[in-house]
Amino acid sequence: MKHAFTRAALVMCCAGWLATGPVLADEAKPLKLTTTADHTKFKELQKEFKSGPEVTKACLACHTEAAGQIHRTKHWKWEYLNPQTGQTLGKKTVVNNFCISIASNYASCTSCHVGYGWKDASFDFKSEDNVDCLVCHDTTGNYKKPPGFAGNPVVKDIEFPPGSGKIIKGIDLSKIAQKIGKTSRDTCGACHFNGGGGDGVKHGDMDTSLAAPTRDVDVHMDAEGLDFTCGTCHSSSSHDVAGSRYTPTAQDKQGARIRGKADKGNPATCVACHGNEPHKKEARLNQHATKIACQTCHIPTYARGGIPTKMVWDWSTAGQRDAEGKHIVRKDAKGHITYESRKGDFTLAENVKPEYVWFNGLVTYTLITDKIEKSEQRTKINTLGGSATDGKSMIWPMKVFRGTQPYDPVNKTLVTPHTAGNDDTGYWKNLDWDKAITVGMKDSGHPFSGKIDFIKTEMSWPITHMVAPKEKALACAECHSKDGRLAGIQGIYIPVRDNNKLLDTAGWAIVFLTLLGVFGHATLRIVTARRH
Amino acid sequence: MKLTTTLTVGAALSVLASSAFAYDADWKRGRVYYRSVCTSCHAVAPIGSINPSTKTKAEWAAYLKADKHNKGKDTVKQYVSKAYRASIKSGNKAAEKFADTPDQELMDDISAFLTKGAKDGDAPATCS
Repeated sequence: MKHAFTRAALVMCCAGWLATGPVLADEAKPLKLTTTADHTKFKELQKEFKSGPEVTKACLACHTEAAGQIHRTKHWKWEYLNPQTGQTLGKKTVVNNFCISIASNYASCTSCHVGYGWKDASFDFKSEDNVDCLVCHDTTGNYKKPPGFAGNPVVKDIEFPPGSGKIIKGIDLSKIAQKIGKTSRDTCGACHFNGGGGDGVKHGDMDTSLAAPTRDVDVHMDAEGLDFTCGTCHSSSSHDVAGSRYTPTAQDKQGARIRGKADKGNPATCVACHGNEPHKKEARLNQHATKIACQTCHIPTYARGGIPTKMVWDWSTAGQRDAEGKHIVRKDAKGHITYESRKGDFTLAENVKPEYVWFNGLVTYTLITDKIEKSEQRTKINTLGGSATDGKSMIWPMKVFRGTQPYDPVNKTLVTPHTAGNDDTGYWKNLDWDKAITVGMKDSGHPFSGKIDFIKTEMSWPITHMVAPKEKALACAECHSKDGRLAGIQGIYIPVRDNNKLLDTAGWAIVFLTLLGVFGHATLRIVTARRH
Repeated sequence: MKLTTTLTVGAALSVLASSAFAYDADWKRGRVYYRSVCTSCHAVAPIGSINPSTKTKAEWAAYLKADKHNKGKDTVKQYVSKAYRASIKSGNKAAEKFADTPDQELMDDISAFLTKGAKDGDAPATCS
């Protein structure tokens, strides 16, 4: 028996050393190449975490400056002072024509905040423990912050909304914390792919098809090819991520960024890598690149990944109920929602051709403090600066999102309704605009007359993702034609589109006369030569 | 007795050491291989593409353990092997990209993706 045990131990020993053979052999020991620290080995993370802030405390024990760095970013503040316009922007302030505003809807909207516990205006923006490290650094794909929990993850199974019978599964924060790593398309996409309340809803050029896209969907992010993450272009410094939709870089004259070259430009532009003369074979195309943004030709359509984006949202039709008084949901043939009682009518689309405008990077918002007049013209939620003559503008592709949303016809302002929330005043539960707008405007601190009307609005979103392979870029005739893509662009002469009969006649006459002169001269030379 | 104790401790340490260096499966790489290699072939075959969310975690585990592809006519491992990747890499970018990945690592990656994307997984997934 004793010998049998000894033999067994010997076998186990050999098996064990065989298993670790590479350690002793010529090869280096197996190790992680994607990180310099294996967080599963840290005792601080080998415990049960009952909340997000507990995890953050553990992170900050080593990464002492990280929370302070986050505190300085737009991702944390949701507030941005535009130095060009003087407007205070950011999610905390702006009103849009999707879900409209975060005011009084914090607990739902802040599921996409890089923090924990922002449930109302009293949120402590100085708290380091409230910084959420996992939302950007999770590698498991299991970290979730469901709407309604003020940016907190759910750690134990819970029925939500209460009484609904729907169970949200709790997640194991310890496992997630031990597997943290670099940001990825999945982590950024958890919020940015789902802006506007669902997959692909808001941006049009960002949806979950970019999590592991094919080359056709995005030539840079192609999971089988270049495999760019978001951070490859949107490089960060001290946790501040480059690139902004409030002050976009419409024209980049700085050329390719070279190591060691001091510049404060935006590293997320096309030019930052490709330079100002990116076309090597067709130099003529580089002349186009002085007036036309790269995106105009290289993103022929958006929402190309098989996921539709919302194009129109009509809040004015919300509130309908069925014969039993229940909420209604209507879907199209593909199962996409086109009407909801709580939200109104939607129009969705895939493979959408952008609209094109002159754009110089200046964006001015219609804020809740601005007076607006209802008219046949749509009110612009954001107005884009730009013209053919300012020397700063390029022709850019845009998703123009059109909506009809509630406004105050007496005070002549947009309004901030309380939509999300399992309470008596939340519109999505009770379909009562009076209550919802009264509560929402009180929360945002602006006057409400009590009168409600609806106003037509539009909002422009520069298209810059979903870059197609070069062989699928726009062909010449897409723009150089009578009713081409740039039919509405003024202030620039586009051959074929802008042909003028008089000019064409004069031009052809010059060509004819030139040829006549050449051939006439040649004929005379030949004739006179024979005579001699 | 002393020898036995020493060997036992040594054996335990050896097993622990081996587990400490266990491969940490990459579900994202598994996702790319599954969609680009498995699905691209299945999509054109009579059976059609198979969403990870069509099976439970237990069903996927049993399927991979049984290692029977095409009703047992060949194996699953065969389609994850370096040899198979080499045979299709001229026409399949994922096979080319992961040409040198050890077979077991890639199998673990796929297993991790299927577990995660299963009907009862953390993030039920489709083929696209």
